[in-house]
Amino acid sequence: MAGMKKNHLLLLIYAVLIVLMGVTSIYSSTYQKEGLFWQSVYQRQIIWAVAGLALFFIVAFSNYRNLWDWTYFLYAAAVFFLLLVAVIGATRLGAQRWLRFAWFNFQPSEFAKLIVVIFLSRYFSKKEAANTSWLPVGSGLAGSVILPFIFVAIPALFIIEQPDLGSGMMIFLFFIAMLFLTNVKLKYILSFLIVAALPVPFLWHILRDYQKERLMVFLNPNIDPLGAGYTVIQSKIAIGSGGLLGKGWLAGTQSQLHFLPESHTDFIFATFIEQWGFAGGLVLLFLYYQLIRRGFIIAANTNDYFGKSLAFGISVMLGIQVFINIAMNMGLAPVVGLPLPLMSYGGSSMVVTFISLGILVSIDRRRAI
Amino acid sequence: MIRIRIVNYIIAAMFLSLSLWLFNFNVLQGRELRAQSDKNCVRLLPRWGARGAIYDRAGNLLAGNSLSYDVMVMPQGEGSRNEAIAAIAMALEKDQAKLNKAYRNNFIGPSLPVLVVSGISREQAIALEELKNDIPSIIVQSRPVRAYPYGSLACHLTGYLNQIDRWRLTKLEDYGYKTKDIVGFGGIEEKYDYYLRPDEGGLSFEVDHKGKFVRVLGFKPPTNGKDVQLTLDLKVQKIVEAALTDKKGAVVVMDPSTGEIRAMASFPNFEPGLFNKNVEPSVAGLINNPDALLVNRAISFAYPPGSVFKAVVATAALETGKIDPSSEFVCPGAAFIGKQKFECSSVHGAQNLTQALAHSCNIFFYKSGLMLGGQNIHDWAVKFGLSRLNEIDLPYETGGFIPSPRWRKVNKFKNWFNGDTANMSIGQGDCLTTPLQVTRMMAVFANRGYLVKPYVVQAIDGGDISAYQKKIISLGLKESTLYQLREGLREAVSTPKGTANALSGLPVAVAGKTGTAQAPPGRSHAWFCGFFPFDEPKYVICVFLERGGSGAMAVSVAKQIIAAMCAEGIV
Repeated sequence: MAGMKKNHLLLLIYAVLIVLMGVTSIYSSTYQKEGLFWQSVYQRQIIWAVAGLALFFIVAFSNYRNLWDWTYFLYAAAVFFLLLVAVIGATRLGAQRWLRFAWFNFQPSEFAKLIVVIFLSRYFSKKEAANTSWLPVGSGLAGSVILPFIFVAIPALFIIEQPDLGSGMMIFLFFIAMLFLTNVKLKYILSFLIVAALPVPFLWHILRDYQKERLMVFLNPNIDPLGAGYTVIQSKIAIGSGGLLGKGWLAGTQSQLHFLPESHTDFIFATFIEQWGFAGGLVLLFLYYQLIRRGFIIAANTNDYFGKSLAFGISVMLGIQVFINIAMNMGLAPVVGLPLPLMSYGGSSMVVTFISLGILVSIDRRRAI
Repeated sequence: MIRIRIVNYIIAAMFLSLSLWLFNFNVLQGRELRAQSDKNCVRLLPRWGARGAIYDRAGNLLAGNSLSYDVMVMPQGEGSRNEAIAAIAMALEKDQAKLNKAYRNNFIGPSLPVLVVSGISREQAIALEELKNDIPSIIVQSRPVRAYPYGSLACHLTGYLNQIDRWRLTKLEDYGYKTKDIVGFGGIEEKYDYYLRPDEGGLSFEVDHKGKFVRVLGFKPPTNGKDVQLTLDLKVQKIVEAALTDKKGAVVVMDPSTGEIRAMASFPNFEPGLFNKNVEPSVAGLINNPDALLVNRAISFAYPPGSVFKAVVATAALETGKIDPSSEFVCPGAAFIGKQKFECSSVHGAQNLTQALAHSCNIFFYKSGLMLGGQNIHDWAVKFGLSRLNEIDLPYETGGFIPSPRWRKVNKFKNWFNGDTANMSIGQGDCLTTPLQVTRMMAVFANRGYLVKPYVVQAIDGGDISAYQKKIISLGLKESTLYQLREGLREAVSTPKGTANALSGLPVAVAGKTGTAQAPPGRSHAWFCGFFPFDEPKYVICVFLERGGSGAMAVSVAKQIIAAMCAEGIV
């Protein structure tokens, strides 16, 4: 591919391999379900992947610095769409997360995550191309923590209100990670963390009943084996029963006989492991690790501070999502409804992830210029 | 930059920990979680073959199979169970609480269906089968169950079927028996359970989270049990049971030359089919009945033999040379032995051996018994198969008991007196025998000197096993002894004063001995044991009436049986 270096090709190959694993897993977990919709789920995922790939190339071959100019517009659009979701969004599984379009449902919170990363990157890097450095070197607590926090909190609170606690908390998580990576003084970060931790006991009362239940069940899934704990228990069984080499493709009983709910979306990891076992799991973890590492290498090699922090942000965002989703599949994190990037069924997540990867490539292509 | 390196390490550590957890789940806990996954989706549906049938010697069916429909519920979470049971209760108009109780009682494991109602009609089965679409955990299955074309006929011989009890289970666990298995209780069903028992087959299949069938994983066809053919003659058995109806006692009819049992009945009897239906009150009634309905009186209870035992004493006296055929004792109607007065049934006057047997003269046997001594009598009784098991192929046989001076001394530290010998000589005292033992003893005189082992099963699965069953031992009796005994037994029927003279009018020549065994408190036990036709005996018959009065009562039952056999042309 013209204009693409070996590094970029590898990144693409890792991503496409993960997508293929995802599509086969989606196929295996849905092909036995009745109805035209279920039969075509894997095809839709392929379409989304193709769309994602197209966007990947478009973004990769355009200049990421355009995003600098678009930042405020994007931010405003994100907040607008989140507001729209809150007002007219489609309710599914008890949560109002989607905007219904002509032929697909659009999940603005997925885009909001990326836009928050772009916004923070712009905020923390100086404007002039000649004088590139991190913003916070000279700024105080207010400039380096409080102000960006307010900008992050607005979309994050909308998302939590949907309610999507997982995505909302994730935004705060990579906010903290970006503070750390952009050399904000440690004492600022620590004092922010302490202040943020203070209202946690009161947060319990704000949480919805199902969120409280999920947290309780996370601590001990067996208190409600047929209710909220059911998914975690079935997911653990699905993962463990895969053994060393798995039950084989299309031979996973947990996922295909519908013992495992959400086996094609949030719990696709368990579906995959049941069929491919520990060996398959190691391969998948390796691919994700390589993908994220590549992002960090790009960040480390970029001199442009906007690009640098953007690459960090994207890598951290991917890393946190992958980690929390897999930990959730293994019962190590509460069930929060986060998709596994590139694997879980879902167009918004797929497209956003490919755009993010495209931005990474674009950054890498331009750092030499 | 140090912070980048830290984040790099954190990311690496995150993925390493995920790998380690994956190792923990898939490798360390893999086996356990795999088992849980199988438990989730694998269900077993046992299929039973038909139990082997039981035929009489002519091939008439005594115990066969018919189809019964069972309703079972596949365990699949409490909610779905309640739903299923509620639907069944509605369809069958049964009490839901009762079904729930049945479910709890019959639950075996999470992968096996639980029997809720058994023996529903075909129409009900079809109705429930339609429910299956909505509630996949309901299973309707047909199952062969025991059917008895002749009802209670030969019930003690065939035995009955019931769910295995704890005692049998501990005994049979190593042979592959499981809880809730249906096994034979008593009779052929128990003794030959190993052969009759069908081999469990079954279907293992996958279900989804709603318990809905997905696909078959494996199927092992069940194998039917092996058929068993008895030596029993259905016609004789029917005649015997007709004669015993409303009486209490037992009748054994045996072929004296082989030991083949032609008929064996014990009354009061029971309906073995009741156990299939598992109607609790009626089954409890069978088990708790004070008349011991389930006990085979022909082999499992021992009674004093009374005068029937005199045949043994006579043989012993002749064989040991204590008396000879011309020896006579005068019967004055009573005799003093020590200080005790022993009475005879009447004043017989001078009696030789044949007369004494024919008239059942007690005095004659007191005297010959005293000449023999208690130990001798005991030893001869044992030779005739008394006081030990017949080793018939039926369970729960008792060996009876014949006392002896040696036994008394060793076990009771008591002396043996002449009075004991006298009592023993007429089959009283502590003597206890089963009707089958008496039959076997009488067969020695019928077949001229051979002790045969009685048996009931002649063929299993079409293969003749009578060669293994037959055990014929010569007692080495003298020709003259046998002649005298046979004459005496014949005269009991043929002479006008013979105790069994009532049988003289029959178209066949019968020989035999009556017995009136006193068993205070209460009426005497009535015995008759004989054989016919006299010259070439084909049958030995023993009629025993528990508390039936005098031997004449038994003779009248015997007469009814032999007359009917003659009328049927069996003799």
